[in-house]
Amino acid sequence: MTTSTPRPRLIHFMAAFGTGGLLTLMVHFNGELGRYGNALFSSWGAHGTGTVAAILFLALLYRRRERNTAERLPAPFWAYLGGLSGAATVMLTSLAVNSPLALAGTLALGLAGQVVFSLGADLWGLFGLPRRRPTLRDLAALALILAGSALIILFRGFES
Amino acid sequence: MTMPILVACLAGLLVGLSRQLNGRLAVSTSPLISSFWNHAVGFAALTVLGLVVGGLIPPGAENAPWHAYVGGPIGVVFVAAGSWVIARIGAVNTAILVIGGQMVSGVLLDLVLAAPTTLWATGLGVILILAGVVVTQTQAKR
Repeated sequence: MTTSTPRPRLIHFMAAFGTGGLLTLMVHFNGELGRYGNALFSSWGAHGTGTVAAILFLALLYRRRERNTAERLPAPFWAYLGGLSGAATVMLTSLAVNSPLALAGTLALGLAGQVVFSLGADLWGLFGLPRRRPTLRDLAALALILAGSALIILFRGFES
Repeated sequence: MTMPILVACLAGLLVGLSRQLNGRLAVSTSPLISSFWNHAVGFAALTVLGLVVGGLIPPGAENAPWHAYVGGPIGVVFVAAGSWVIARIGAVNTAILVIGGQMVSGVLLDLVLAAPTTLWATGLGVILILAGVVVTQTQAKR
């Protein structure tokens, strides 16, 4: 990598799509944990085991990250607060799921909120990440994926 | 009813915010270090909350099987991958591809678990999502 802004490649897109699969597994297992405890315990337990796992992964990969860390810009303090936002998400989600919205409504509106934020984030380059003007293709892909997701979410849980 | 709607939208907004912050931290450190801080800070916040509100470890929690805790380590990889990808393909592409991947794999999991589904809606949904993924791919090659 010679440039500071690498061009998007197929592998990045596949990684993002595959990451969605990880999310499904994560939600499944965390839901399992929640059934034995509650939503707060599930999130707390997952964050705890996640912290330990992250330390183990870092220890395993320790030798591999020695190069060019000195050249990087230091992170602002707020960049460390992603976990707060994540923890708040868990509580808000469990609130919404137990309202008349139920799971389907919560998921659908959550996707909407996520997409609106990401549009603003790209448009203005929020929180120090590169600014990217969404193209027509971006918006077409967005419309297709949101429509497909809405169909799946809103019809899940009913016999055909 | 407006209150739950706002809460659900805000939850989605915070998912995006979290990924943006973790992505920024990964630029200065590494995706895995960013994922570590995400989990450590979240764990600390939830511990404080649990101690204040009470019921951090509810009765019955000790009966959870070991595999119920696998979600944590999976989450580490999830956050690290998201932090790596977002600086490279942008927030919109990251969000919609993760959503698409979650939906399609969710349908597969439902099939494995034999959960009830509406076949035409689910099938059409998967086709639309895959079409959307193909659209992002054609853009990547430009």
